[in-house]
Amino acid sequence: MKQIIVKRLSLLVFVLFGVTLLTFFMSHVIPGDPARMMVGQRADEETLQEVRRQLGLDQPVWVQYFTYMKGLFAGDFGKSIRTQKPVMDDLVAFFPATLELALSAFVIALAIGIPIGVLAAVKKDTMVDHGGRLFSIAGVSTPVFWSGLIGILVFYKLLGWLPSGGRIDLHIPPPTRITGLYLLDSLFTGNWAAFKNSLWHLILPAFVLSFAQLAMVTRQVRASMLEVLGQEYIRTAMANGISGAVLLFRYALRNALIPTITVVGLSFGALLGGAIVTETIFGWPGMGKYVVDSIAYLDFPSIMGFTFVIAVGYVLINLLVDLTYYVLDPQIKE
Amino acid sequence: MSIQAKAQTDIPTERTVNPLWYKFHKNPLTIFGLCILLFFLLVSVLAPLITSYDPTKINITERFSPPSAKHWFGTDEVGRDIFTRIIYGARLSLGVGVAVVLSAGLIGSVVGAISGYFGGKIDQVIMRLMDIILAFPSLVLAMALAATLGPNLQNAMIAIAIVKIPVYVRLARAETLALREKLYVKAALTFGIPPWRIIARHIIPNAISPVVIQVTLDIGDAVLLVATLGFLGLGAQPPTPEWGAMISIGWKYLIDYWWYPTFPGFALFLASCGFNLIGDGIRDILDPKVNR
Repeated sequence: MKQIIVKRLSLLVFVLFGVTLLTFFMSHVIPGDPARMMVGQRADEETLQEVRRQLGLDQPVWVQYFTYMKGLFAGDFGKSIRTQKPVMDDLVAFFPATLELALSAFVIALAIGIPIGVLAAVKKDTMVDHGGRLFSIAGVSTPVFWSGLIGILVFYKLLGWLPSGGRIDLHIPPPTRITGLYLLDSLFTGNWAAFKNSLWHLILPAFVLSFAQLAMVTRQVRASMLEVLGQEYIRTAMANGISGAVLLFRYALRNALIPTITVVGLSFGALLGGAIVTETIFGWPGMGKYVVDSIAYLDFPSIMGFTFVIAVGYVLINLLVDLTYYVLDPQIKE
Repeated sequence: MSIQAKAQTDIPTERTVNPLWYKFHKNPLTIFGLCILLFFLLVSVLAPLITSYDPTKINITERFSPPSAKHWFGTDEVGRDIFTRIIYGARLSLGVGVAVVLSAGLIGSVVGAISGYFGGKIDQVIMRLMDIILAFPSLVLAMALAATLGPNLQNAMIAIAIVKIPVYVRLARAETLALREKLYVKAALTFGIPPWRIIARHIIPNAISPVVIQVTLDIGDAVLLVATLGFLGLGAQPPTPEWGAMISIGWKYLIDYWWYPTFPGFALFLASCGFNLIGDGIRDILDPKVNR
């Protein structure tokens, strides 16, 4: 166990180093002239040279990389061209909104996906099973931006049940910032109006974002439940008179969940990608919307800062998932 | 030599083709997926016969017409027929998805075969590079790359291909490691055949089947990625009738002119469903556990 952690951590250092190389390459080497991009097409040669010197672009590439790394270690991703603020500050400001959305989607995917998966496995080859399968394929095939649009059409325009976007109504002051997650903050401060309103805003984007992951969870739970249900210890348990919910949930599901954790953890990257699109459609003020707005301005410091932060987060989550796997499965000990 | 290599690939196929087709046949959802794709193929090939409109011609007097007998799916902000744009867009959206995955598969298998065949330092460098690419969520990296290269369809294709390559490198490398020990490869070596020829003639043709399977599983995802980059403004640029690009303009008009983004999105959903249904069927057939 210890060895595994040490090995994984050393690999992590290497991969993170690689991530910095790639983002450096994308921000400094591929674009013909980052200085020209910053000052625009109409700037004169003198300004261009000045900006180039300021950015250190007149230095050899390896010196540039060194400076870049020094910046990263100090949490300095440069200044956003669009907002004129340090990219790090922007990302810190927008992060909680993305976290709140992604976590809610995650919880929804598990809360709905696991029961459907179990049901599909128990009722294998019946209408329930086929329906579940069709549902999960539809989930993976639906472009997030399209399900978002359909959601807005149905629940906002047609039914008028839910708002079309934003995080909270303009006339309601957002809760005092403790964690930055509106739901938690409003609970902590006992601000019911804000809690109700932000929950109301969260429902549609969170469901839309969870859809693809929900499909994946359903599929994985079904497959591993089928495998577990065919095993001998289940038969033994049945012979001992254990049946129904106890058998399914206490005996079978516990083991079936181990592979599910890996799949769900790995799909977190897809969730982050989906968040970019979902936030854009719903005007959700998170990192995803921030980066899409930056794309329109070809604001490279913010695009690369976002890319770097997401990659680091993704690598860390994957590490965590791997480690949980070792902890949960007592059979992997060597 | 080549006869021997051919025999290697032929034997398993001959034994398995019929049961495979049988299983494929038995699975109604897979057949359904196949029908969807055939439909799209037919529509995109016959596009000029199906519709008399021009996909890019502006007709400002008929802007934002709702769906009707004249314009089945309505018209957009400059009066172009949306149905026409969708069926011409099928050529682009599906063609680009297929092209991207095929090139990623081809490049990936060559790189993977080189990596596995030579081993040592080359292998280390290539595989660590792939690890780095895999450290990013695919949409995030594709987006960053496409933004860096400049927003157009060609760069979006390059970006998506780069993101897709590592899977193929890993697959081809794993196959090559096993093939390298085969007698016919060793025999070729003793004949003094150069490595590039061994890789091209003996390794890649025999390592290709898992790659082909992965390609079929990947196309649906690639079609969605192309459209997503288009939606984010990083892929095909308007007025190109690409589905993602259409939605990227259309969603701003959603509340008043619902048909504009809805129909291109539905086409995308349907096509992606078709690819995924087929991919799912193939996975079922190849997974021995499912049959228990």
